[in-house]
Amino acid sequence: MASIEDLKATFFDECGELLLIMENGLSEIESGGGSEETIHALFRAVHSIKGGAGIFGLEALVEFAHVFETVFDELRNGTLSLTTDLAAVLLKANDTLSDLVGLTRSGAPIEPGYGSESRAALKQLISGDSGDDDGPAPADFEGIAFTPVRVDLVELNNDAGGVGRNEFGIVFKPNRDFFQNANEPLYVIRELRQLGDLDLSADVSMLPALSELQHDGAYIGWTGTLRTTASRAEVEQVFEFVTGDCELLISGGANDAVSASGVPTPAMSPPPMLAQAEPVAVPPPSVSPVIQPVPAAAAQPALAVAADAKGKSPPVTDKPTTRIDLDKIDSVVNLVGELVIAQAMLGQVVQGLPEEIAVLLTQRLEEVVHHTRDLKDGVMSMRAQPVAAVFQRMPRLVRELSAKTGKKVRLEISGEHTEVDRSIIERLSDPLTHIIRNAVDHGIETPAERIGAGKSEEGTIRLTADHRGGRIVIEISDDGAGINGDRVLRKAKEKGLITADAALNADEINNLIFLPGFSTAETVSDISGRGVGMDVVRRNVQDFGGRISLKSERGRGMTIQLALPLTLAVMEGMVIKVGRETYVMAMSAIIECLSPDPADVHQLVGTRGMLQLRGEFVPIAYLSELLNIASTARGLDECVVIVTDTGEGSRLGIVVDELCGHQQVVIKSIEDSYGSVPGVAAATILGNGLVAFILDVDRLPELANDLKPPPAAQAATVRRFQVA
Amino acid sequence: MPIAATLKVLIVDDQNSVRQMTRMALESFGIRYIHESENGKEAFDTASIQPLDLIISDYNMPELDGMGLLRAVRGHPALRRVPFILLTGRGDQELVVKAAHAGVNNYLVKPFTPAIIREKIEQVLGKLS
Repeated sequence: MASIEDLKATFFDECGELLLIMENGLSEIESGGGSEETIHALFRAVHSIKGGAGIFGLEALVEFAHVFETVFDELRNGTLSLTTDLAAVLLKANDTLSDLVGLTRSGAPIEPGYGSESRAALKQLISGDSGDDDGPAPADFEGIAFTPVRVDLVELNNDAGGVGRNEFGIVFKPNRDFFQNANEPLYVIRELRQLGDLDLSADVSMLPALSELQHDGAYIGWTGTLRTTASRAEVEQVFEFVTGDCELLISGGANDAVSASGVPTPAMSPPPMLAQAEPVAVPPPSVSPVIQPVPAAAAQPALAVAADAKGKSPPVTDKPTTRIDLDKIDSVVNLVGELVIAQAMLGQVVQGLPEEIAVLLTQRLEEVVHHTRDLKDGVMSMRAQPVAAVFQRMPRLVRELSAKTGKKVRLEISGEHTEVDRSIIERLSDPLTHIIRNAVDHGIETPAERIGAGKSEEGTIRLTADHRGGRIVIEISDDGAGINGDRVLRKAKEKGLITADAALNADEINNLIFLPGFSTAETVSDISGRGVGMDVVRRNVQDFGGRISLKSERGRGMTIQLALPLTLAVMEGMVIKVGRETYVMAMSAIIECLSPDPADVHQLVGTRGMLQLRGEFVPIAYLSELLNIASTARGLDECVVIVTDTGEGSRLGIVVDELCGHQQVVIKSIEDSYGSVPGVAAATILGNGLVAFILDVDRLPELANDLKPPPAAQAATVRRFQVA
Repeated sequence: MPIAATLKVLIVDDQNSVRQMTRMALESFGIRYIHESENGKEAFDTASIQPLDLIISDYNMPELDGMGLLRAVRGHPALRRVPFILLTGRGDQELVVKAAHAGVNNYLVKPFTPAIIREKIEQVLGKLS
């Protein structure tokens, strides 16, 4: 049985969902939409929070939710009407409610009078007395005459709705002296038969040996069933004159034990037959005219929204869902991973077979591969959650920041139904919060400045999510001032991040903000923090396999793009070889592979070489050097260069000995056992059963830099930003 | 006189936590057969195929609310006499009056304690043990 604490946790989870419904509903109202059903849904949500909180004795929450609920109630019945001002108060109140839920959940002490400002604002809206909600609920309402309606269950079950027939289980065992008291079991049984279909069998287990048999003793008992339209009372009446002279048990209706007590007879355990008889009394399933089977149309709004990912916020309808323990899903994910490995091994075995067999098997195997991939996608989608879980916290953040800074900011969200693995969702919140803080604090100008620059008074921040090229792309763009390149350059030089004479183009300058220790805020505000800057954000994003890049146009605003992997468990990998070692590289990081013409590789000072590729120069690095292993290739012409996208738009040509083909690999973390290994992201098991390391492509440039730190100007070249 | 162990009860509430709290209380009275539904519609489907001795239903629910469920149950020939207890908020006097007209057996004001649930059930079904 669940403990109270477990139930509380369930309640707080529900609160999370309810708060999301409220946030969505209120946003709809704020933007001028919102139907009557929205108000009803809002009322229900806050009512549920209040109700649950009451049961768990969370007074502060109950008290606030009560006032909040009263406002929705008045909106619902028309005492109050919706205005923009009202929406603002409601949004603020929702924030307070959300805080209260958070505080209560964490068990933090709540100061008396917490949220009193918001509460007072709500109270002002309420016309009548909201009724103070202190103390326990009354057991009975005063002022109304209500008498509980007593029901006799025995009678109720006999009635069984007045339709159909009852099935009674009968156990009738006359006592030894039954005949001596002038009773005749045959009469009883005949009378019983007149009531309906009687199915009895004799129990002769009490019958003694012939020598011990007394001629006037009753030894035989009967058990069985009676199907009848008669009521229990009528059945009981049959036994009216023999109840003292027998063991009697009449069970049936929906309630056997009740009937056992209905007739005062010696207790006995009912035979299994009686237990089986019980379900027959179930009323036949039927559909009332009031309730229709699930109309097909009901599912449509939800589907339409899913299809139109860029559409408005979802209508407040509930899709049927089921809760599954995450561990269960994870174990299925792991099993699918094992399946992928087993299948890859099978593929290798097939290659070693005689050709005519191999061809046949390969065709069949292709189908298995196809289904496994679908299975993997299906299972992954179960782990996936809409990014709305993170996006929904942002409107509030923007509201608070704009209030604090005195700037006018509008947040536009789209694609919030895009689904991402839930482990990524959990880690997305911090970077996103930071970027949006920056956008409001540094990006959007004050209303006066904006008007001066010929823009509208209100700034806009756009938050979008989208599937693009096997990745989830989240973009945060604003129409603010953009990056002040001069200031960034000056700052970077002051801090010694680049040399004083470094010549950088605009994109390179913009990307300087990702360098550790860089913070441009002239005065450290309490919004953007103190220099825990974009480098930390970048690190956070990289930690879950994401990439971050930015575009900025002075005076027009900037866009930060996060490209996230779809999943963290299985990926498409390129198997490569260096010397005798095998590694795997994520396909998503690879731009192209080529056999270089040694003439295209130019030796520049401070580099391992620059590969001239269609007029552009790409720095190259030898994987054997980066990982300190011996290469078996005798020269560059025997090698393969893999041009990789190492994030932030920069490219690096990685020189390896051999490409061994591409396959799906299951990512197995090694950090638990080995800690963080530079250059290695994880491990996997290949088709031949060998373990191979998965390269951490995003970190390879750092390893290359550590080998031989190039001068700052060249570092900046490496970090050349490229619009994806 | 009902024996708690044989009672078949349906709890209807859209909030899992409230259902579980109610279940816990009922189990502490010795009630063993407990069904749960998330809304009135689901509850009605359950009631149509399960023999029930008592329905304890919340009022505020999506799909079909507690009053809707009460009316549907009372309009169904096989269910019309199933005892029905409605959960209400503390300001819902008017609702209780309406529910009384619709044939509710008793009401229970949220938040409630196990002792009050027991009292309210016993007012309808008699002593539980």
